[in-house]
Amino acid sequence: MNKMKILLKLIIIFLIFQNFSSAETSQKVDKISKNLRCLICQGQSVYDSQSDFALSMKILIQNKIDEGKNDEQIYDFLKNKYGEWIVYDPEINKNTILLWVLPLILFVFGGILIYRKVSIK
Amino acid sequence: MVNQLGNYSLYIALLISIFIIIKTSLSFRNSSNVLSGNIFSLISVQSLMVIISFLTLIYAFVTSDFSNETVYNNSHTAKPLFYKISGTWGNHEGSLLLWLLVLTIFLFLFVIDSKNLPQKYRILTLFFQEIIIFGFLLFILFTSNPFANIFPIPSEGTGLNPILQDPALAIHPPILYLGYVGTSIIFSSALGAIISGSINKSWASHIKRWVLISWVFLSIGILLGSIWAYYELGWGGFWFWDPVENVSLMPWLCLTALLHTVFTLEKRGTFQSWAIILSITTFSLSMSGTFLVRSGILNSIHTFANDPSRGVFILCFLFVLIFISIFIYFFYQKTITVDSTKTFLMSKETAVLINNLFMMFFLSVVLIGTVYPIFLEVINNEKISIGPPFYHKLIIPFLIPFLFFMAIGPNIKWIKDKMGKINLKDIFIFIIPIVISYIFVNKFGVSYLLSLPLFIFSLFLFFVTIRDFFGKNINISQKISHFGFSLLILSILLNGVLAKEHSSNMRVGDEIKFLDKIIQFQNIEVIKKQNYQTLIGKFNIVDENNSLSLKPEIRIYDQPQTITSEADISSTIFADNFLVFNIIKNDGFYNVRYQIKPFMIWIWISVLLISLGGILSLKKKNV
Repeated sequence: MNKMKILLKLIIIFLIFQNFSSAETSQKVDKISKNLRCLICQGQSVYDSQSDFALSMKILIQNKIDEGKNDEQIYDFLKNKYGEWIVYDPEINKNTILLWVLPLILFVFGGILIYRKVSIK
Repeated sequence: MVNQLGNYSLYIALLISIFIIIKTSLSFRNSSNVLSGNIFSLISVQSLMVIISFLTLIYAFVTSDFSNETVYNNSHTAKPLFYKISGTWGNHEGSLLLWLLVLTIFLFLFVIDSKNLPQKYRILTLFFQEIIIFGFLLFILFTSNPFANIFPIPSEGTGLNPILQDPALAIHPPILYLGYVGTSIIFSSALGAIISGSINKSWASHIKRWVLISWVFLSIGILLGSIWAYYELGWGGFWFWDPVENVSLMPWLCLTALLHTVFTLEKRGTFQSWAIILSITTFSLSMSGTFLVRSGILNSIHTFANDPSRGVFILCFLFVLIFISIFIYFFYQKTITVDSTKTFLMSKETAVLINNLFMMFFLSVVLIGTVYPIFLEVINNEKISIGPPFYHKLIIPFLIPFLFFMAIGPNIKWIKDKMGKINLKDIFIFIIPIVISYIFVNKFGVSYLLSLPLFIFSLFLFFVTIRDFFGKNINISQKISHFGFSLLILSILLNGVLAKEHSSNMRVGDEIKFLDKIIQFQNIEVIKKQNYQTLIGKFNIVDENNSLSLKPEIRIYDQPQTITSEADISSTIFADNFLVFNIIKNDGFYNVRYQIKPFMIWIWISVLLISLGGILSLKKKNV
């Protein structure tokens, strides 16, 4: 918990001195932050929110990009830190396999029903 | 005093409801299948009672009668009159009363509209609709009474959430509810028809009107909500796959499938069972939508009023209705004349089935995406978020063949068609989109793999429908809707691919270069309005040829204390210039977000076109 506080303070200090640099990296921040949930808001993405959390998050992403991390590494870092809840794009694992596959199964099943109803000749 | 009038009217409506339910079930048992004039006048009185109680609530809001708890919680004397009125349905209790109002009025209209249909079917529909009305009356009177009193009477109310104080959002709920509640008539009528064994072409052509009405209102209701989100929430986005948005999209998808099925039933007398299943599903989705939004289970930006204990009531009521309808469906299924004729592959029937398959797929994606996190959390205690990337990955690949079938389906004949020779014209109409897409991709570059085929196929639909406008004996309403859909996908796609944005922190007097433009922050003006203070920023967007002045606002409302950002948008047929600014903590700095959104206005226009198709189809008498 203490570490979090120090981190937040550092982030706030950054916030004050930060000058958003090149447009290219900030576009990348936009892209990543669109896929992140603002944890303290009601169903808004980090990109859309103007809360302190979202602002510090954007700076955090910016720093990670400056460190040379790629998108994958940044998402993984955030998932480790805040849990799966923060990303809008759930990865496929044993918990989410049904989520991804169920609609596809329904589609195939419906397709078979139609195939049986319709005469091919 | 006036407050009590509304309360008593609701109790009278409840008594009438009980009386009608008993009377109709008796007349059904005695097989005296006559809808007596007696019942008709009872329904009229019931509608009148609900109208009175609704007007009473409006009156309480307008006069700021704070002895009424609902008014106290959601209004304030300093609020403009317009928002005092719209505040009536901007809260839980009032919005339920609006649900009830529409329920009773629709039933009244149904009884008038169905004069030429079998008596037995009318009585049964009336019976089921009254059960729904009864459920809602109980719900309103015992869990969310809009006429609850407070004593001692407070001198001032707590106010309405300022982001709801907006013209689009004032009319959005009533329109959306007309769509939602319209599905209740479809539900009751489907149950009535299956029991009385009258699922046939004439039922289809009767219920088609109700399907169209609900569908048109739902489409426009969703559109209004989306426009509101675009300019009020400051996202610059218009659809976020937010749970509350999804909840309104689900009945729409189901209704669209039902619409096509009912057309087929009307013309060909097939797919009876499927039409019944869809009717039941559509209403269940509307009800569960109300449940999910009202119970506060969903984590959403659109959730403004909720209370978990109320959710339990709706949930139970919903289960009872679904249980009854499933039971009735299986018990009376034998009344459906079995349709053993096979459908030919090359026929419009097959095309409708394919449409339904895709609609059900889209529906399942949205449904599973919306409720999966809730179940996962209950079962596994694991929280996941499902957002736009999930929906895009599953929906876009299927949208491509869907567009293709949408283009060719309507041109296939009923019953059986021949695989026509593909002539030069058809090839030409397919080559044009490919060429245009190729040039487009070369010029702008597209990062997402599936954008290209999506672009090609929506252009294909676009050109095919345009060509068909010049054909003979065309179904103009269907063409307009399909054309609107191609335009919708095209404008969403172009809007997504070509959008440009810039966000930075600026002070008054700052200038920023963005693309070939310069964004100037000129000054800030503070103005006091009736119930808020507003900071109006004056910005200039200057490029080589001209300069555009935009004036976004930051509003500071006093009751309740809230800050909202009002974007300023300048729309042309080519692009929207969208500018919004926010206060940040650094002294004198504002976060300024400027966006260029190409073809934004066409997204709205295309949804209007889709709805226009529905309206035109409504006017048409059995063609």
